Amino acid sequence: MSAAPLPESDLGRARDEVATCVGADQLGPGLHLLTLEAPEAARAALPGEFAQLQMVPGPLLRRPFSFSSVDPGRGTVSFYLRVYGEGTRRLARLALGSTVRLLGPLGRGFTLPESRGSSLLVAGGVGAAPFPHLASRLLAKGERVLWLNGAASSDELFPLGLMPSGLARSAQVTDDGSSGRQGMVTDALPELLDGMDRVYACGPNPMLQAVAEMVGSLRPEAPVEVSIEAPMGCGFGTCLGCSIPLLSRGTAVPGLCCRQGPVLVAGQVDWEGLRRQPSHLE
Amino acid sequence: MGGEVVIGRGLALESPVGAASGTFGYGFEAERMGNLAGLGAVFTKGTTVAPRPGNAPPRIAEVPGGMLNSIGLQNPGVEVVASEYAPRWRRWGPKVIVNVAGSTIDDYVRVCQRLDLVPEVAGVELNISCPNIAHGLDLGVDPHAAAACTRAVRKVTGKALIVKLTPNVTDIAEIGRAVQDGGADAVSAVNTYLGLKWSHIRGAPVLPGSGMAGLSGPAIKPLALAAVARLVAALRIPVIGIGGIASADDAREFLELGARAIQIGTANFYLPGIAASCAAELRQGAGPA
Repeated sequence: MSAAPLPESDLGRARDEVATCVGADQLGPGLHLLTLEAPEAARAALPGEFAQLQMVPGPLLRRPFSFSSVDPGRGTVSFYLRVYGEGTRRLARLALGSTVRLLGPLGRGFTLPESRGSSLLVAGGVGAAPFPHLASRLLAKGERVLWLNGAASSDELFPLGLMPSGLARSAQVTDDGSSGRQGMVTDALPELLDGMDRVYACGPNPMLQAVAEMVGSLRPEAPVEVSIEAPMGCGFGTCLGCSIPLLSRGTAVPGLCCRQGPVLVAGQVDWEGLRRQPSHLE
Repeated sequence: MGGEVVIGRGLALESPVGAASGTFGYGFEAERMGNLAGLGAVFTKGTTVAPRPGNAPPRIAEVPGGMLNSIGLQNPGVEVVASEYAPRWRRWGPKVIVNVAGSTIDDYVRVCQRLDLVPEVAGVELNISCPNIAHGLDLGVDPHAAAACTRAVRKVTGKALIVKLTPNVTDIAEIGRAVQDGGADAVSAVNTYLGLKWSHIRGAPVLPGSGMAGLSGPAIKPLALAAVARLVAALRIPVIGIGGIASADDAREFLELGARAIQIGTANFYLPGIAASCAAELRQGAGPA
């Protein structure tokens, strides 16, 4: 514990508000887009930050989801989620007009660049979740944004139509070749890296590790930020349930996904340690 | 019912509502989120002589009406708590009571000796009942060992001394009497119940190792009420009720049963403002003093 501590999220912006369901769309098998009226979160949430959603009645603990898009004008936020268990199943079936409690924004989000350049956004499966929000913020800053999206098959790809317009390029890969190129995101990654100033990635932990290693060898000047998933209890640092192995100047330090993450610089993650961990609450 | 309460050695809490150890860190998250107002006490994360990194994940699992945890006493060690954290408590309304954990009686003595020098520490709560670390001596289940630990700490601290009891015993009143005789100012009860969640898909426990972990949440409230009732009947010293409290009405049940104060635990995870709102609600219900 002698290594320098990694920066933590600021909890001071988090609010616990009652959010009303204004949209619940199934986008694929077990994949849903939930849109909630939550004016405070819509005003405050930055790309890569997350909210803890609670259904009443429902499971005891809240469930964490990255903000997928925010619309401060309408006061709405959306979440792209995959059904894993009871909590996500109930959220996916939320009726229009019904309410949930939303605690957020929480966590540390993506770093937005100081100067204009080119960003590559890499998503695997439901890991597309935070990218509509990030892409629109980057585009608004005049950034050139490339989008690489991978999934098991075409019906599990995040719809391109839900990404903001103005992407410089987009590429899709599927495990079964049913849409775009057949293979994994790392098969399509090398040809997109040329000229990239930074890479943002979200998806299964092994994919994040592979992306980080590939960028590190092919385009070492481009920093990589990854959004990590871990089983979470509270979301604000008190239950200590979402422990993840991190590195501070090369020294292993215990970290919390909810406070030091969920977005981390790839070099801050102890990938081998993370490989042995579960990725969601059972 | 919702006004000031005294818990031994002149420790006066402005509200009977506290936040339970292990569910509130050292209070800083709640401070930043504006959730400290009106609380009587913050009971900190279990604190040991040396820093502890805690157990390997997964550390928590959800079950109907509650959750299991096996955190493994992750904490920065008493020196950091005493020298870096305590000064930040100086201006707080709630009193800070440091929960103390260890493997041997000497561990408890060393931590409490250090804390005795810290003016911001209002009291210590001995966690002689953490189910999540392996130690040879089960202080919390043996009345002689529990009394000996309490006596040893009593000699080195002038702070309010609270002993937190495990419910995983045949007769919790017997342990309560033993620590009362050992010099405790109060007892708090209950710590978590031993529980296990099994995954039939994997044919293994959900949590690592044996899968044994601490069960908390609304599911344990009737069990906790029964334990508190036994303690209230058996002891002269105050009893602080803990177990599944998630509303002001839950808190009233424990207080009407005879608990002097209460602690809100797991509910802090899913309702981060609950402790402050319970304190406010009980204060309103208390009427003019």
